[in-house]
Amino acid sequence: MATPTLSVSDQIRQLDDARKLVLGDVKYYPSVVKGILPIIGPSAPLELRRWGAEFLAEAFATPALPNGEKETMQPYVLTTLESMIANDREDPQVLRSVIQTAASIYPLAMRWIINNGYDTITWERMVAIKQKILRIWDNAVPSVRICCIKFAQRVVLAQSVATGSELRYGGTLDVSLDKVPPNHQSLDQRTLEAEATGLLDRMLTVLQESSDALVVDATLNCLSILIRTRPTTSNRILNAILNFNPLKLANSPLTPKSRVMIKSMEKTSRLLLIHLAKRDPHNPNVPRIHQYVERMMRTMSDIFDGSRKRPMETRNHDAYDAKRQRLTPAQIQVPPLAPGIHSLAEVFTLIGNDALRTFDISQVPAPLVAKIAVTTLSRLDPQVLIKAVNGIRGRLDVLSSAPPPELNPNTAPLGVDEDDDDYEPDFYQAEDTEQILNKLDSSPMVDESALEGGLALKSFHLAQPQTLTAETALIAGNGTVTRVVEMMKSLEDPATKKYKAGFSRLAASSGTRDSWMTILARLATRSSAGLEDISVKDEDDPSASQSLSNNIRDVLYSYVMEDFRRHIDVAVSWLCEEWYNDKLQQKSEGDRPLHYEKCCLRLIDGFLPYLHPQDKVLTRFLSEIPELNKTILSRVKHMCRDPSVVQLALTSLLYQVMMRPPVKEIALDTVQDIWTDFEDARPMAAKYLSKYRPGFIEAARDTSSDNPGPAAAPAIAA
Amino acid sequence: MEVANGDSAAQGQDAAAHQSEGYKLKFCTVCASNNNRSMEAHLQLSLAKYPVISFGTGSLVRLPGPTITQPNVYHFNKTSYDSMYKELEAKDYRLYKNNGILNMLGRNRGVKWGPERWQDWQVGVPRLQHSKDSGSEGTEGGLVDVVITCEERCWDAVIDDLLNRGSPLNRPVHVINVEIKDNHEEAAVGGQGILDLANSLNAAAAEERDAIGATSFDNGNAASRATFDERVPDVLAAWQERWPNLPATWTVAWF
Repeated sequence: MATPTLSVSDQIRQLDDARKLVLGDVKYYPSVVKGILPIIGPSAPLELRRWGAEFLAEAFATPALPNGEKETMQPYVLTTLESMIANDREDPQVLRSVIQTAASIYPLAMRWIINNGYDTITWERMVAIKQKILRIWDNAVPSVRICCIKFAQRVVLAQSVATGSELRYGGTLDVSLDKVPPNHQSLDQRTLEAEATGLLDRMLTVLQESSDALVVDATLNCLSILIRTRPTTSNRILNAILNFNPLKLANSPLTPKSRVMIKSMEKTSRLLLIHLAKRDPHNPNVPRIHQYVERMMRTMSDIFDGSRKRPMETRNHDAYDAKRQRLTPAQIQVPPLAPGIHSLAEVFTLIGNDALRTFDISQVPAPLVAKIAVTTLSRLDPQVLIKAVNGIRGRLDVLSSAPPPELNPNTAPLGVDEDDDDYEPDFYQAEDTEQILNKLDSSPMVDESALEGGLALKSFHLAQPQTLTAETALIAGNGTVTRVVEMMKSLEDPATKKYKAGFSRLAASSGTRDSWMTILARLATRSSAGLEDISVKDEDDPSASQSLSNNIRDVLYSYVMEDFRRHIDVAVSWLCEEWYNDKLQQKSEGDRPLHYEKCCLRLIDGFLPYLHPQDKVLTRFLSEIPELNKTILSRVKHMCRDPSVVQLALTSLLYQVMMRPPVKEIALDTVQDIWTDFEDARPMAAKYLSKYRPGFIEAARDTSSDNPGPAAAPAIAA
Repeated sequence: MEVANGDSAAQGQDAAAHQSEGYKLKFCTVCASNNNRSMEAHLQLSLAKYPVISFGTGSLVRLPGPTITQPNVYHFNKTSYDSMYKELEAKDYRLYKNNGILNMLGRNRGVKWGPERWQDWQVGVPRLQHSKDSGSEGTEGGLVDVVITCEERCWDAVIDDLLNRGSPLNRPVHVINVEIKDNHEEAAVGGQGILDLANSLNAAAAEERDAIGATSFDNGNAASRATFDERVPDVLAAWQERWPNLPATWTVAWF
């Protein structure tokens, strides 16, 4: 291809053409590689050696050429590689390319010897190249050294056992120790594994001993595949990384270069660890990894941000020391704002001192600020204040009359925040939907006229809301109340029954059913108390029921009635609120409508018909409501028309007699009335009366003997 | 106090002027959608005759739409800049003219066919079909020496992806993040910064290239004895002093 008469640059040009050829069609690789080997040998001019070595590195690296082709190509390339690397004074760039080629070939050569055990010559050549590379590793320039490290990594990868389940890469990355048959004629598994272990240790010493970011990064960035696919190496590597301190350099004075290096090593080790934790989130080492990452980020911010913060602090300190000046009206100047965009703080800033301007007042405790403000204002010359206020007013006028700022297309952010960075190639379905929606959204729906006149922001006026009538307010109020009740129902059965009773409890402090109940009851009782007209008292007036309070009462009533046995507590607390409010109203001037009795009677009338003989709820209701009177108790009396609940009515009354001294007398009166009115109830009523009002029974017996009839009762009661 | 970026950027650019011919590092620029920042840098590097390719690390190409919740979304590798341009032009010419999107897409369609996704890039597979792209000359082999990302999470995505690939090619690559806000103005400034960085890196690489063999290692001075790879942190540190508002991160990884 190349004749010796051609100049080096002509030869290079020809070689470039040959390279274009193989890049276009990889099937020419074997013949082109064979063709160039004679002209790039150790005795060739440097340019040709560089070109040739780089070409070989490319040929054995490119995924375009199948590995089978590379495998058959490597035996005759190794000779040239061996002769190039044998030169101790070889150009570093040639060395780099040669070592890269060797790293790509090593697994191919190993697969070759596994399958072609007879060809020991090729394998020995490969071993010789390996020995040479491992020898120059320590003393090579950093550029070459990182390639030696990468070569060693490929040796470790090929000579360690792969995980069974781990994904296959399909290339030479899958060549591993388990591919070596146990009785191979020239490969001994144990020797190979021992060599790999030794090489890995040698690679990892860099992390302890070196603080050259180039070598450290190059090492870190080739470890991932070992940890993930060669389990025997994982723990050793991970321990080495977790013991690695990328901040070693930070102990010496920071130079721009050492900053770059520290940041680089820290970020590289951090990303590697995060990458590993992400790929294998259930690995037992993950908590250690997170610990390390967090510690490292904290230390980094200490080193880099800490040094940045301090000058700021001292600057603020200078501002404190600045001598205070006395202000006179003549002195104060309010310079107009420069054109452009201003923060609110700038609009109100009157001082010229830059250091003071940057002072963050929110760092001073609010009470102290208030104290200072009050003292200052009290001593301030009114003239100064007026002048300052007028100045600010002027600035605001200027700003309000200024045209709205136009959107600058050059500085408007373009980034549309992405949900995630993870590579998820299987998400095409969802993305297509997104695309379609996006198209639908923009094309036909956009109102063209809305965008007429450019993109400048226009002033937008919100339409005036409709005037609020009492009616709409009422509807809205009812809606709200209904929603609260719905929610209250969903909160049914409070998990913890712990509430503070009493009028002073905070209504909405817990968000439980009880607290919402309290809110509703207070809304009903107190919200419009004192505003209602006395005429509302007239129950027949339809407008009377049309107040929000009464609507809430209706809502509460039906809520209790939905299940009065379970909601009796609601009924009681509602009545307590009513009673309390009535008392408050009575204290205030004027005649106010009272609600307690009305509500109480409504409730009792509501549930009495449904009581069955075992219902304790009546007893509870009567004993818990804040006030009992004759009217209420007369309802209990009327219960006794139904003989089955007589016992219930009477025991409930007896309970009041025993436990509630203030109503003892009216309760006994009611029992007496029951005795008088209902024949069926007499035996039991008599039992109670004989205990508490023995005189009545006797008198009744007496009168009944002369004049049977119920008329005797009033005489005795009186 | 604002420190202007690139105070002495001219220095680096002058140096580059002398080396318009000769050795060129191969670059790759990366941002989220391969539209604004990476494409601005792609253009600037290709105008300076550097071999350059560019990618995005996002899952989709997202461009601003009529509102923040209605972005225009496209697939990587499947939609050309030209078809995006035509679609948006038809949708609402005024809006996309005023927010600079059409201008950007117009620029991009002059640079290459369409946005490419980093994770779908088959490193080392020849890119001869991209011969019409600006900066394609020198990238035919599908490999680069330096990857420059424009945002930290893109850098993270690139490194994570390289770790995931398992470094089958054994070829070192410098991955540098230059933090640039995603708007037209910052992208233009960032593009200048990246070009300055590329010039500085290339100057160091060319110096190494010119040193002939091991003999110069014994004779040359310390700076020229150092290889390109080990000089990257120095170059970056010096560049960072010139561009304090474009914070940078660097590592050396493997394809």
